[in-house]
Amino acid sequence: MNRITAFMRERVGVTGTLEIQGGASFAYVFGKVLVMLLVVQAATGAALAAFYSPSSTDAWASVAYIQDQAAMGWLVRGLHYHGGSALVVIAGLHLAQTAVAGAYKKPRELVWWLGVVLLLLVLAWAITGLVLRWDQHGYWSNRVEVGIAAGTPVVGDTIQKLALGGNDYGNLTLTRFYALHVIVLPALVTVLVVAHIVLARRHGMTPMKSGNAVVPRWPNQALKDAIAMAIVFAVLLAFVVQQGGATLEAPADPTRAFDARPLWYLRWLFELREISGSAEQLVAMAVPAIVGGYLIALPILGRDNKRWLGGLAGLFAIICGLTVMSFVRDASDDDLAKRLGDATMRAGRARAIAKTYGVPASGGQDIWSMAPMWKARTLYAQRCASCHDETSKDRKGPIIAPGHGNRAWIGAFMKAPSSDPYWGKTKLANSEAKMAPVNAEPAQLEALVELIYAQSGATDVDVEKRDRGKGLFEEMCTDCHSLTEGVSGSGPNLAGVGTRAYFTSFISNPKSGVHMGADSSEMPRFDEELSIVERDAIAEYLVWLRTATPVDLNALGPL
Amino acid sequence: MSDPDRRKFLATCAIGGGVGVVAAVPLVRLVIDPAGKQTVSSPREPLDLGPAERFLAEPTKVEIIAPVIKDAWAAARDVVLGAAYIRRVGDTLDARSAVCPHLGCAVAFDRAKNNYLCPCHDSRFALDGAKMSGPSERGLDQLPLKIVGGRVLLTWERYKSGQSKKEPV
Repeated sequence: MNRITAFMRERVGVTGTLEIQGGASFAYVFGKVLVMLLVVQAATGAALAAFYSPSSTDAWASVAYIQDQAAMGWLVRGLHYHGGSALVVIAGLHLAQTAVAGAYKKPRELVWWLGVVLLLLVLAWAITGLVLRWDQHGYWSNRVEVGIAAGTPVVGDTIQKLALGGNDYGNLTLTRFYALHVIVLPALVTVLVVAHIVLARRHGMTPMKSGNAVVPRWPNQALKDAIAMAIVFAVLLAFVVQQGGATLEAPADPTRAFDARPLWYLRWLFELREISGSAEQLVAMAVPAIVGGYLIALPILGRDNKRWLGGLAGLFAIICGLTVMSFVRDASDDDLAKRLGDATMRAGRARAIAKTYGVPASGGQDIWSMAPMWKARTLYAQRCASCHDETSKDRKGPIIAPGHGNRAWIGAFMKAPSSDPYWGKTKLANSEAKMAPVNAEPAQLEALVELIYAQSGATDVDVEKRDRGKGLFEEMCTDCHSLTEGVSGSGPNLAGVGTRAYFTSFISNPKSGVHMGADSSEMPRFDEELSIVERDAIAEYLVWLRTATPVDLNALGPL
Repeated sequence: MSDPDRRKFLATCAIGGGVGVVAAVPLVRLVIDPAGKQTVSSPREPLDLGPAERFLAEPTKVEIIAPVIKDAWAAARDVVLGAAYIRRVGDTLDARSAVCPHLGCAVAFDRAKNNYLCPCHDSRFALDGAKMSGPSERGLDQLPLKIVGGRVLLTWERYKSGQSKKEPV
């Protein structure tokens, strides 16, 4: 062992041991813990970078992949995200410890200033990292942050364009923030941390303990450092596991409002803006400058003045107070809780879809299109529900719900076509042209139901019953209806009723002679309103509804 | 510093500086390149939002979907750019951008209170878009809208945020 040490000493050029005046202490561990956390950030960051894709189409998808599919991806991402918080907490303690020890005083001013700059860089790191996930949280937080920067007099516009990489959010926004986050900031931080440590070692520890006892750093302080690192890492790990890693909201959606909140350590600024009303732009610019200025000025102006330390403590107390106020304000807002609940539900849904079906190449914001019948259900909700949904106050047509067009539905319709769930709400039901209830024996009705049901192409048709139905149809229904394709009558042509092609045709033009006819239909044509793909999608949904139950519909999830 | 030393010092600085400048010019030029460009672009033609009668007195949210968008090197079809709220005012329609004029968050129509809320900093806007409360410097931006042959044609426009003057980006 000694020979190896001697060998290395000779070649590396390290001589002597670092010593601590007054003895080892847990007060001195924070710097070392910060280095440990930076190493954690570097290692987890490198692993994440091996998965992450910085483009507006792939960013959210790749993060969702890390979070929900890659082995332990959630844990590594959680360590990276919450490790950032740990950096801020420990940096705060480090700053407090060195301030109390008076380590900012001559000749250590440079060490202190480097530390202050590093703290700022850590905050910049967090801001540039948050946008990379390209979810609602990252996207909207960044909009606000860049918006604030854009409010800078004179150069604001240029700052915004440089930050976004052009005129709007897009691919270049992500590549820029990515380059800053994983290349520029790590390089800067590394250089400054090395300078910070080299200078700090040159000046030695500012003793906090009295007495002239001088002990070597190794192994007295090193053991304490190791214990502190282990504790901090254990707490971080436990927190990450308890939280289930970092959050990931639904993909960035420029149309959907989101309650963007900054990271917790910038909450005090958020609260300050909140309470400063119309002066908020000024506050957003001036207050960070004042706080930063105070920290920079401390070594010069506060060299021999205890009151400056008191001021620092006061500043810290105000920041903590504002942070608490912000969280309390949010916690007492019931509307906000509801909106956040909705957002969380959408996030879960989006991630479930991403995991099951994958994210479309067109990007995260199209994730919903991957859910079964999502497009159709959306169109239905927008264009059909007000007239056809059971819950609609303005319903004007038959109810469309799970089971629509199955045997039970057809049977009940035949018995009472003008009843409320069917044509009851239409003008047709109150006109001469309305359909008369089918007056038939139960067995006959069953056969007729089977015949109409068979039109849908369902595979569980009772052929014998259906064929009996044909005769009955000829007898009872052909005055108005036909089962021969293309034939118009006073009532709708029922050939293929219930098939996808039938529904597409009906939705396209319900006023057609083969459907309701121009006089009997209040439903508008949709052949110009909706594309053929959209009409077909709705038709597919209607076919699906025939065999679906309300439970199935619910299982498709919210829109 | 003696004269020969000073000369060597200046020469070192000149050489180092020269190399630095030569290396920095293309680098800086590249990095600032997008700042002066329209990196994300879509056609400026008005978008057809369908028949005018579908819009009622209560605001309807419509997504602004660009038929094609160019995003630096990539092009994509049917991309959602943003949203607008359209409501009927007598015979005409009024379109308001859902982009908050404060810092660009998306505002949402609050049906319970019959006004708009921006969730980021709690700005509220009246039904007609006028600013009610919160930090926003102006009301919701009106978007150019025309009704041609019964169909609604809307032009999507983004305006600079954080100022009282409405000014296109």
